Amino acid sequence: MTKGWLLIPCRNAHELLSRRMDEPLGGGDRLRLWLHLRICGACSRVDRQMDFMRQAMRQLGK
Amino acid sequence: MDADSLSRSLDGMRTTLLKIARLQLRNDSWAEDVVSETMLAAIEGAASFTGNSQVKTWVVGILKHKIVDQLRRGGREVSVEAQMEAAGVETLDELYQPNGHRLNPPLDWGDPEASLSRSQFFEVLQACVERLPANMGRIFMMREWLDYETDQICKELDITSTNCFVLLHRARMRLRECLEMTWFAKERVA
Repeated sequence: MTKGWLLIPCRNAHELLSRRMDEPLGGGDRLRLWLHLRICGACSRVDRQMDFMRQAMRQLGK
Repeated sequence: MDADSLSRSLDGMRTTLLKIARLQLRNDSWAEDVVSETMLAAIEGAASFTGNSQVKTWVVGILKHKIVDQLRRGGREVSVEAQMEAAGVETLDELYQPNGHRLNPPLDWGDPEASLSRSQFFEVLQACVERLPANMGRIFMMREWLDYETDQICKELDITSTNCFVLLHRARMRLRECLEMTWFAKERVA
């Protein structure tokens, strides 16, 4: 996968995955990430793992 | 709740409370202080504890408030360190090839939610958070444990939102690697 306007490498996808947990993404980034996650199983996995980590952190001390 | 049984519960919780306070504050004397303040507040407020929640949940709630106060008091000190850390050279390069693709594909964590019922998992989680550099860990805990919005963190620590996003991103990636290596990789073998 070469880097273009629409296609991004995993590294950028990870940045967007994290960013999305902190603020809503703009249209272009949202589209790029959505597309990347459709194509890339590894990043979809990371996406679910990030959600899980958030869930786990909220339970710390409970 | 009577003072006697509350005091006994508080004694039993002290180690856990200290651990979490240290994890968030990264400063032992601040952690000791907030835990003492928390215990005092709990004893003074024992009458207001309705018993609708677990004692521990109630006390951890008080601890969160005390920690927020402490972060506010120590804000200036924390912010200078955080700025330096965000400007640091760490880039996560070790995770990627030059073209931005991952070197090692992430493992399948199976059914990670099952781990949430195991106390050993939370020990591993705490150890992984502890391994983060001090301010990265502090900011990560503010976001994910104290539930601050990112702009609140930026404002309180006086760092730019870009620095904030960078630190949170690095923290998440490191934590992911750490959990994978020290928990999920082993779980899968087990």
